[in-house]
Amino acid sequence: MNRWKGKLSGIVVLCFCLVLCTGAMVQAKEPLKIGFMGNLSSAPCLSSRGAAMMAVDEMNAAGGIDGRQVELIVEDTKGEIPKAVEIYKKLVMTDKVTAVVIAEKVEMAVAGMEIGAELFKEYPHIMFSTIGSGDVIWHHVRDNYDKYKFGFQTYYSVSTNYLNIWGKLNAELFTKLAGAKKMALIYEDMEWTKPLRKGLEGVSPPLKDVYKKLGLDVVYETTVSTDQKMFTSVFEEIAAMEADVIDATVGYIDEGALIKQWEQSSSRDLPFFIWGGLAGMPPAWKVTEGKCLGVMVGSSMVRVAISEKTIPFMDNLMTKYKVGPIFGSHTTYDTLYGFKKAVENAGGAGNIDALIKSLEKVEEVAVLGTIGWDPKLHYNLPYPKYITPVVQWQKEGDQGAMKVIFPPEFANSKYMSPKELRK
Amino acid sequence: MLIYKLQSILVYAFIWGSIYLLISLGFSLICGVLRIFHLGYGVTFVVAAYGTWAFMNELHLGLWPAIGLMFVVQIAFALLIFYKGIFQRYLEQEEILLTLSMLIFLAVTHLANYVYPVTAGVYIPTTIIDGTFKIGKVRLSYQMLFAALTGIFVTFLFVWMFLKTRVGLIIRAMSQDIQASRLMGADVNMMYYLAMTLSVIPPTICVLMIAPFWSVDPFMGAPLLTTAMLVSILGGLGNLKGSIVASYMIGFVHAFISFFYVSRFMGFAALVITLLVMIFKRGGLYPGETIW
Repeated sequence: MNRWKGKLSGIVVLCFCLVLCTGAMVQAKEPLKIGFMGNLSSAPCLSSRGAAMMAVDEMNAAGGIDGRQVELIVEDTKGEIPKAVEIYKKLVMTDKVTAVVIAEKVEMAVAGMEIGAELFKEYPHIMFSTIGSGDVIWHHVRDNYDKYKFGFQTYYSVSTNYLNIWGKLNAELFTKLAGAKKMALIYEDMEWTKPLRKGLEGVSPPLKDVYKKLGLDVVYETTVSTDQKMFTSVFEEIAAMEADVIDATVGYIDEGALIKQWEQSSSRDLPFFIWGGLAGMPPAWKVTEGKCLGVMVGSSMVRVAISEKTIPFMDNLMTKYKVGPIFGSHTTYDTLYGFKKAVENAGGAGNIDALIKSLEKVEEVAVLGTIGWDPKLHYNLPYPKYITPVVQWQKEGDQGAMKVIFPPEFANSKYMSPKELRK
Repeated sequence: MLIYKLQSILVYAFIWGSIYLLISLGFSLICGVLRIFHLGYGVTFVVAAYGTWAFMNELHLGLWPAIGLMFVVQIAFALLIFYKGIFQRYLEQEEILLTLSMLIFLAVTHLANYVYPVTAGVYIPTTIIDGTFKIGKVRLSYQMLFAALTGIFVTFLFVWMFLKTRVGLIIRAMSQDIQASRLMGADVNMMYYLAMTLSVIPPTICVLMIAPFWSVDPFMGAPLLTTAMLVSILGGLGNLKGSIVASYMIGFVHAFISFFYVSRFMGFAALVITLLVMIFKRGGLYPGETIW
């Protein structure tokens, strides 16, 4: 009897082990789900979607993340916050994704972060914001880490780092390259320029004071609105104030009109630096009929190999996914690779707290240098880890070309004054 | 500095005022003749820009043939879609007329954005003389001056036509009293066709003239429509004399605010001025029933 009992117990234990192993195997084969949400009628979101699809396809072809295939679930927010909140809930609660990528303006990511915080305990997950430089995401993490620790932000730079890092780099650019002493500042009336206009308490004074400390006297300062079409008066006043350089912290205003009117104003010979937007995209030359000649702009759309990933990323995105590598695409692609490495370092995506800790430590080769996140503030590691080159529109034959003038290690041309270039 | 600012205000009030005149002339004409608040007017700017570009880019036409063909499309659009399609059918049902006109405008805008998004690099090479010159202490681009002079020239032609030709006389009569004009033998329908055709000319020329210093984008129609509406409301709906005065008045307000305060505030300032005028002078500056 006892022999039979022993045999039976052995069989039961064996079956139990078998069931467990099979379960584990099934679990191992389950795809790792990533949600992607954005306004799919806007160019940056479409470009970001292409980049996300490319990253996932490449990962799956190479065996997935930690042995699991990756499934990308794409959702269209149509640019509406209530819809975005519903989609976020659906992705986390119904689709049970491990990570949500919000490739849309920061306001949308903030809405997602709030609902994500409510869901986090029951549905642990990670949130990435990959478009927008606004400071709210990392402020949330800094001010209430336990509640918002699942939120990470990747962008070319967050507003704070524009002040802390790019302010100094720009000042160097203006003084060393353009020999400037007096400068004019143009801001656009948007949330991301607020820290630049007003400063951040306890973090940095306004951009004007940052420049002043570095020996540049701001003789003219104005804010333009996003629906403004006439900038002539701005440029005429800048010339009247005898500024040596114009620094335009803009990215969303009508840059076509801005550049055309600069070129036809008394300020046309002054070095003109634009922080981002249309001016840093290849069509800018055609759109402005070559009037952007001499304009300097922060642009990640220039074909310069910042890492071994840069050129293949640009080429594959264009040829296989039929979208241009505009803003949001690099950050989305790099975020997913950073996430992949963090999951693998954490030994899987099962323990989200361990994954968060892993994301706080991870560093991975990225299209624009190195991707990783600040362990306490959760924005991506800034320059010199993550690099947006400064380019200048110069002539190549009778066409215009974006030439890198900064940082020096990637420069393929030297700065020339607009007057020199027009000769 | 004060003299420079005063000179700038005068010069730019003239330049911007003349351009605003070109923007709003067609809108005022439709208001005056057909008595319609044409919310689809913004389409004209989009068709002018993207029509020219499409013919140049897709059919590989030169600039002038593309502009010629675009004018044909523009007039056909105004007559067949707006006049025959909407105005004739819903002249008595204003809410339907307004809604449909607006929807067509939005549809064309979104179509332009779908076919030629900003990244397509649309431009119209209509620069006449590149470069700048100085009037006193104020620097001005030749193209802006040409755009302003074109505005004055087109307005002069319109005014001359209304005051000196038989067609102008009939249109003025119609703007006073349709039924009486009919009884006097005016071919009202034909005049409506003519007014619709004439109304697309100033905004089309405007887009061609301002393209070298303004941006061409699929949503360019909305701000231009707003300017046209503002000028027409301030001047007195459908009164060309009012539109001329209002254009320069808004040009002056914009220039004054830009040079003495901040350019971001100029749109708001023009709205406040219009509001004040409307409160104290009902119907705008020239609240007459006639077009002139």
